Amino acid sequence: MLAAPRGGAVLLEIHDLGKSFGGVAAVDGASFGVTEGSITALIGPNGAGKTTVFNLVSGFIRPDRGTVRFAGRDVAGARGDAVARAGLVRAFQAPRVLTRMSVLENMMLGAKDQPGERLGMSWIAPRRVAKREREVHARALELLHLIRLADLANDYAGTLSGGQRKLLELGRALMSEPRMILLDEPMAGIAPVLGQQLLQHIRDLRTRNMTVCVIEHDMDVVMSISDRVIVMDEGRVIAEGTPDEVQRDERVIEAYLGRLGTVGVGGPPRGDAA
Amino acid sequence: MDFLNPAFWTFVAVIAGIYAIMALGLYVQFSLAGLPNFGHVAFMATAAYVMAILVVRYHVPLALASLAAVGAAVAVGLLLAGPALRLRADYLAIATIAGGEIIRYLAMNLPELTGGPLGSMGLAGPGNIAMYNQDWMALLNRLTGALSGALGHAVSRDLTMALLVWILAGLLIFVFWRMERSPWGRVLKAIREDEVAAAAVGKNVFAFKLQALIFGAILGAIAGLLLAWQIGIFSPEDFQPTLTFYAYLILILGGLNRIWAIPVGAVLFSVLFSGTRLLNFFPLSLIDSGNRAFLRLFLVGFLLVLFMALRPQGLLGNRKELILEK
Repeated sequence: MLAAPRGGAVLLEIHDLGKSFGGVAAVDGASFGVTEGSITALIGPNGAGKTTVFNLVSGFIRPDRGTVRFAGRDVAGARGDAVARAGLVRAFQAPRVLTRMSVLENMMLGAKDQPGERLGMSWIAPRRVAKREREVHARALELLHLIRLADLANDYAGTLSGGQRKLLELGRALMSEPRMILLDEPMAGIAPVLGQQLLQHIRDLRTRNMTVCVIEHDMDVVMSISDRVIVMDEGRVIAEGTPDEVQRDERVIEAYLGRLGTVGVGGPPRGDAA
Repeated sequence: MDFLNPAFWTFVAVIAGIYAIMALGLYVQFSLAGLPNFGHVAFMATAAYVMAILVVRYHVPLALASLAAVGAAVAVGLLLAGPALRLRADYLAIATIAGGEIIRYLAMNLPELTGGPLGSMGLAGPGNIAMYNQDWMALLNRLTGALSGALGHAVSRDLTMALLVWILAGLLIFVFWRMERSPWGRVLKAIREDEVAAAAVGKNVFAFKLQALIFGAILGAIAGLLLAWQIGIFSPEDFQPTLTFYAYLILILGGLNRIWAIPVGAVLFSVLFSGTRLLNFFPLSLIDSGNRAFLRLFLVGFLLVLFMALRPQGLLGNRKELILEK
């Protein structure tokens, strides 16, 4: 476990981000930064606005206010595909695989800089397209071996289990060689063995200098993998620091326990996030 | 009519080939990009009308008029794209069926421009029967002559047309088969499966959908032109929404998401649809021909239901793919 954020520059910086749905402010002035090369966990009780922050940052929802800077560029309000091309790729809470396409095709789709995706290029420059396609194919197989789905490469992605789908989605995201990846509850609804495997992959990403921001409810996981933890409640960031600092923070304890008190049900707040 | 009448079946072959091209246009939109276009017939109607109007009213050469007709169909596609591509699939289906009907009603109710309910016949004004396809017939006659010479015995004009249409259909299917297997096609299929996932890995979903819609419009326009040339006279009634449904039937009968299933589906559909015309033998001959015509449509429907019950994946489809939910 790392005690302090690494010395890298801030890769993602959001400031005063706000988004309301009807009268409900899902995100209400959230500000934080994510250091390059770190694993940052975004935690908070249900309805804290974590997933909405992900949707805003990755361009799938337009913010009402605030700025999102990624790698020095303002990406607030940019479309999801543009944000992804800028190097900020996300995975979804419920994995979105392309069910009637093969596992391999799912992976190959993730690749960037394939000239063959432009109309007519497979007629104009077939060699260049084929060359890139070979590279993409090799890379996809390599990653499939890494996430242990190589045996299923030619199966329909729709036949995979939930956990395998999460792995596949991670693999597809990695195909685009992103600078930063957003993972929304990667461990939710996944078999323990696959979970451990997934966790190891997330750790490996950091060694390859990829930045990871992860929403996670399992505190053991959060404490074991993250360099920094950002705590949200009611649309705002209420605490930020190393896992140890955050664990001792009174506002954090209050947010979790206080919520527990008012709702009046047992068990820690976990499961599906708003 | 004789069951083995070659002239009849040649005509059926021509129509089947035209339907194959029409269905290919829908394939690019629906099976590749996942756009449930229920107004495909609008592209055919637009092309046929623009071509006929330019030829009859403005004496534009047929080739030029046909190019303009394809351009007009693309323009309709673009007009449709603005609102339609922002809609979810189910709303898109409703919007496009309305779009198709708008084109047909315009054709019906703008007699000064389109000949109104009379159709292409009314284009030259009352008392004059307008013909738009003399140039096409001349070309076809020359080709027929050449073909007869080459083969050493006489060929019918419809046979020449059938060959022409099927060669064109084969070529077009080949072109789109290659494009489907290219990375471009992979992105389109990904959009069909889940456009959010495609956007999440950096694909510009709108641009790809637009391309698919435009290709569909061009193919629909080609089918519309061929149909207009083949039948010689057309009216708004020839561009009913059912034509779009025929295209869907062809895709489903052949096997969804299988591009080479299109010609198979087109032939199967045409045989089912036209072949039932020949059911005039005993005991069916006891029923008078008017009732038999209705009975025939019941029978077509029944056969289609039967086929789908026994082979839901179509002739060449993949049953495994069918049961995977999106």
